[in-house]
Amino acid sequence: MDPTCTDPACTVATDVGGTFTDVVLTDGTGRVTVAKTLTTPGDPTEGLLRGVREVLAEARVAPGDVGRFTHATTLATNVILERTGVPVAFVTTEGFTSMLELGRRARVEEERYDLAYAQPEPPVPPSHTFGVPERISATGEVLRPLDEEAAARTADAIAALGVAAVAICLLHSYVNPVHEERLAALLRARLPGGVPVVTSSAVWPEMGEYERATTTLMSAYVGPVMASYLERLGGRLRGIGITAPVHVMESAGGVLPAALAAARAVYTIESGPAAGVIAAARQGARRGLADLISFDMGGTTAKAGLVRGGRPGVTHEFQVGGKGSFGGRRPGTGVPIKVPAIDLAEVGSGGGSIAWVDAGTLRVGPRSAGADPGPACYGRGGALPTVTDADLVLGYLDPGGFGGFRLSPERAREAIRAHVAEPLGVDVVRAAAAVHDIANAQMGAAVHVVTVRRGIDPRGFTLVALGGAAPTHAVRLAERFGIGRVLVPPHAGVGSAVGLLYADLAIERARTFLAPVSSLVSCSASRDNLGALAEAFAGLERAALADLAADPADVEVTRSVGMRFVGQSHAFTVDLPAGPVTPGTVQHAAEEFYKRYHESYGIDLRDPAEVTTARVRAVLPSGSRDLPRAEPGPGTAGARRVWLDGAFHEVPVRSRAGLAPGETVTGPCVVTEPQCSLLVPPGWRGAPDDTGALLLEAARGEGPWPTR
Amino acid sequence: MADALTAEILRNALCVAAEEASIVVVRSAYSTFIVEGADAAAAILDARGRLVAHSLSTALIQCASLRSALPFVRRAYPEMRPGDVFVLNDVYQGGIHANDLLVFRPVFVGGEPAYFTGTLIHVADLSGLSAGGMASDATDVYLEGLQLPPVRIATADGPVDDLVRVLAANSRTPDKLVGDLRALIAGANVAARRLEEIIAGSTPSGLAAGIEDYLADTERRMREGLAAVPAGTHRGEYALDDGHTVRVAVVSDGAGTLTVDFDGTDEQVPLPVNAGFSQTHGGVMYAVRCFVDPTLPMNEGCFAPVEVRMPRGTLVHCTPPFPGGGRFGTVAAAEEAILSAVTGALEHGGVAASGILQAFSLSGARRPWLHMSFDLGGSGAREDHDGADATGALFGGGRNIIPQAEPIEARLPVRVEEVSLIPGSGGAGRHRGGRGTRTVILMLEDARVDTRGDRLLRPPPGAAGGGPGRAGGYYRRRADGILEPLGTKATRQPLAAGEALVVETSGGGGYGRPQ
Repeated sequence: MDPTCTDPACTVATDVGGTFTDVVLTDGTGRVTVAKTLTTPGDPTEGLLRGVREVLAEARVAPGDVGRFTHATTLATNVILERTGVPVAFVTTEGFTSMLELGRRARVEEERYDLAYAQPEPPVPPSHTFGVPERISATGEVLRPLDEEAAARTADAIAALGVAAVAICLLHSYVNPVHEERLAALLRARLPGGVPVVTSSAVWPEMGEYERATTTLMSAYVGPVMASYLERLGGRLRGIGITAPVHVMESAGGVLPAALAAARAVYTIESGPAAGVIAAARQGARRGLADLISFDMGGTTAKAGLVRGGRPGVTHEFQVGGKGSFGGRRPGTGVPIKVPAIDLAEVGSGGGSIAWVDAGTLRVGPRSAGADPGPACYGRGGALPTVTDADLVLGYLDPGGFGGFRLSPERAREAIRAHVAEPLGVDVVRAAAAVHDIANAQMGAAVHVVTVRRGIDPRGFTLVALGGAAPTHAVRLAERFGIGRVLVPPHAGVGSAVGLLYADLAIERARTFLAPVSSLVSCSASRDNLGALAEAFAGLERAALADLAADPADVEVTRSVGMRFVGQSHAFTVDLPAGPVTPGTVQHAAEEFYKRYHESYGIDLRDPAEVTTARVRAVLPSGSRDLPRAEPGPGTAGARRVWLDGAFHEVPVRSRAGLAPGETVTGPCVVTEPQCSLLVPPGWRGAPDDTGALLLEAARGEGPWPTR
Repeated sequence: MADALTAEILRNALCVAAEEASIVVVRSAYSTFIVEGADAAAAILDARGRLVAHSLSTALIQCASLRSALPFVRRAYPEMRPGDVFVLNDVYQGGIHANDLLVFRPVFVGGEPAYFTGTLIHVADLSGLSAGGMASDATDVYLEGLQLPPVRIATADGPVDDLVRVLAANSRTPDKLVGDLRALIAGANVAARRLEEIIAGSTPSGLAAGIEDYLADTERRMREGLAAVPAGTHRGEYALDDGHTVRVAVVSDGAGTLTVDFDGTDEQVPLPVNAGFSQTHGGVMYAVRCFVDPTLPMNEGCFAPVEVRMPRGTLVHCTPPFPGGGRFGTVAAAEEAILSAVTGALEHGGVAASGILQAFSLSGARRPWLHMSFDLGGSGAREDHDGADATGALFGGGRNIIPQAEPIEARLPVRVEEVSLIPGSGGAGRHRGGRGTRTVILMLEDARVDTRGDRLLRPPPGAAGGGPGRAGGYYRRRADGILEPLGTKATRQPLAAGEALVVETSGGGGYGRPQ
């Protein structure tokens, strides 16, 4: 094999999780090299660099030969959830400074009947909120010029606060941004250099002042943290000779150039989890499976996402701190961020979650041992028992370890004894089994949210296991829901990073554009609106291409419009055919809208409709379409005592590399690979395909235990 | 496990069907108030009229209306055919007032209606003294708008056009009315389709058994919660702005059964202050639910352990021809009376009153346009915390149901100049009441305004020595900037172009002596 990678498609993908940093390199032929390092929370680039050096060395690739560097990070999520963003000042139109305090929350479920209902703190305190005299009408007309003296006074007041970013949302700026832009210039001139001033018309130019404001200020809040992180990352990569552009995963499944990811940080909120769902969809498609539940379990969190008919669900409103759903997705319950994101549910529980006894009750998480000190069995100073320690005690993990270090069953046993078994008065193994079961129940909560809670029966779906801890728990989790199929892709332990290898560079841009369809399609109508729409699309496309810094010839641009009946609020997004914007193409979109409306509501209506939004999505396809394969190699076979159904049993242990395509694996057994360990309980069997993907199926009615 | 899972999927599928119906109504309706803000109510009921599931963020009084009205529909139409859809608004048959249209569609099993889907929204206009149906001088129900007993509005062949034409002819905004009606029918149809899918997937008997278990389980949990209300008779009362008083006795057996008796409540009045019985019942359920596990699903299991006695001809149960449109002041008074009765019986008693929903409607003087909306008052403080600012106290809604300034201005000839919290409007106390809001809406065309508020002349009192909230009100801001009070129940008051409507909501009462 060629010792160096000269293929420009040589790609490095990195996924920084709460516990592990996964690094995957592919040379474009499908050959994959993998490293898993401990995340370094103080400066995540450190652990990441270690992993990058490892894969480069192992694959014998020179840093200069890396053509593409893709990156998923939970930075934006963590900053928002842990409230560690920069201090932000918020400026809006005079008369509306209560906007954030008032909010637009729905009171649902437990809040509705709560006499002690306490409203949440506004995302920016009143002391940091300012109103400026100015006014633009709903049609974009300047009704009251921006009071520049007042703006200057506001700038001085903001400067005195010492904030690190400013968010501006003025009324109707989505139709005319002139006041926002002028105000931003005035503020920049009077604020210390480097304090970013973010305008709502640049971040999300759509109607609805509250959602536009929160989206903007969250962008301001996270942006500087993201910018300095990506700058540091880029510098360190150049330091070791990697000059490839850095692309960051965005929440809807594409990747953004680093500069854009910093400027539009809210688009990266679901960066890592989205990669997992994309990976699951792609793996499923290969096997002809269109209905999937992606189950991504790492050290700190677990996520479940739904893929129906081959397509991951996408939402257009993310709720930060939302209630009623683990991913915070229920509308009206948190601070809304209006960006497209892959729909998923998350629980704060993973392999590193700490087990503890609370007044006689065993609990797991939400505290995580993380990477430092890590689970007790890592021998890195952690003394508290984690889910990983329990899995090791039960025989599910190989003490030979993964991620390059040994696991200590003694330390795991001792931690569980001291902190779980003794307080509960049970033996160590039963305590470990209880920790494992509780972890499975918590994972179940994430799957529950995306299926059962929506009235969707998960039993017809295939569970796709991704992430270091997922293969150990996935089949048991499937059993909880009566799911009969589990897909374990090759390199499942670094599944999200593998998904990143194949993510397309993509950007979406949209703006409100209100015009009656009749003014766009009729031959006799004025062509002004049609010209304006064409101009709006041209502007959006220019902006999107500039975002991607790509050659227009390589980019696929799709256009769509929001369309609704005049007088209604909810618009459908319908595609607009490529080519010049003509009465014919708009009419075509209108027909599609009528059809969709009829399908959705059962109302066959031909009332006057209007265009509400112009939207483009520009995609620069990633080089390789091939999925990575696990190289079969010399494998090991052995046996180990594993806790199953209330007793230890001697079961076969196979290494994944040693499995030949088509060779049947029958539970109970354990299949190990460097980054994870697959537990195949009794009653399950499956075979790897030619890429090494293992599809397990419940063999109903064939009890493996004589007693079952 | 498998059976428990099946049961849970079924329960959620029923709730999702109701939720989907409400989303369909909101998305396909035409009234600004509905499409830019308020949720639509949607429910699934069984042939016995029991509430099975309802849309999540719906005000409970609307859900209660659907539940109360269904038996009247069945009585009026002993024979129903697949595809039939019925509509009503009659306050004496479970409805609310003229503008709140209730739509029902039966779902058949074995040739008989086995379930009903229902939807409800406040439609744009359906005649009456004032556009939008908020005339506070309507001395009888006929002045509130067109009265609809249960009537068939659609069959399997489509809408009953004769009736649709009558309705359109009785609306100041016929296009919006017909659009809203179509949306209600679409919502009921979508829920019916989902229900048919559920029946197909789980068999009729599987669904029936699943529902029995669901309701029984909820009722058991409801009774467990209600058992915490000390045995005995607990009394409370609350006076409206006009001095009329709602009086209640909450009788608990200490084992999970309550009787809520409004005996002693003042007589009904010939003004839209009274509440139809369905509305009072909804208010009772809201107040009672505040004392049980808040995560309980809302279905018949919650209603079953609570007997409600509403003497006919009183404020809480109006009879023909007394109007019921302005019911929320009375319903809120009933809720406040129950809260004070029950908290008074508990160890840590006392509760400060809240500012309530304050409605208004603006309509064009020269051409037909309509903006119906409301603002929310501050919540009362409690023993251990401040009251929440301007939220949906006493009906459980949030501010998400109030349209924002941008879409209002994009649709209507008005300009929203201010929406702000009023500093210091929460009642003083060891814990302060929640603050009220001020909204200023400038008219760009000549218009008329109707107002409908309460707790403005008698602001929400504090508890345990706390002060009352600041009284809100409605004002006309003249072109010269001078504020003139409008009545708290003003009707068709002129607002010329250049004048503004100012709506201030009351703050909540404070708790405990200020320190």
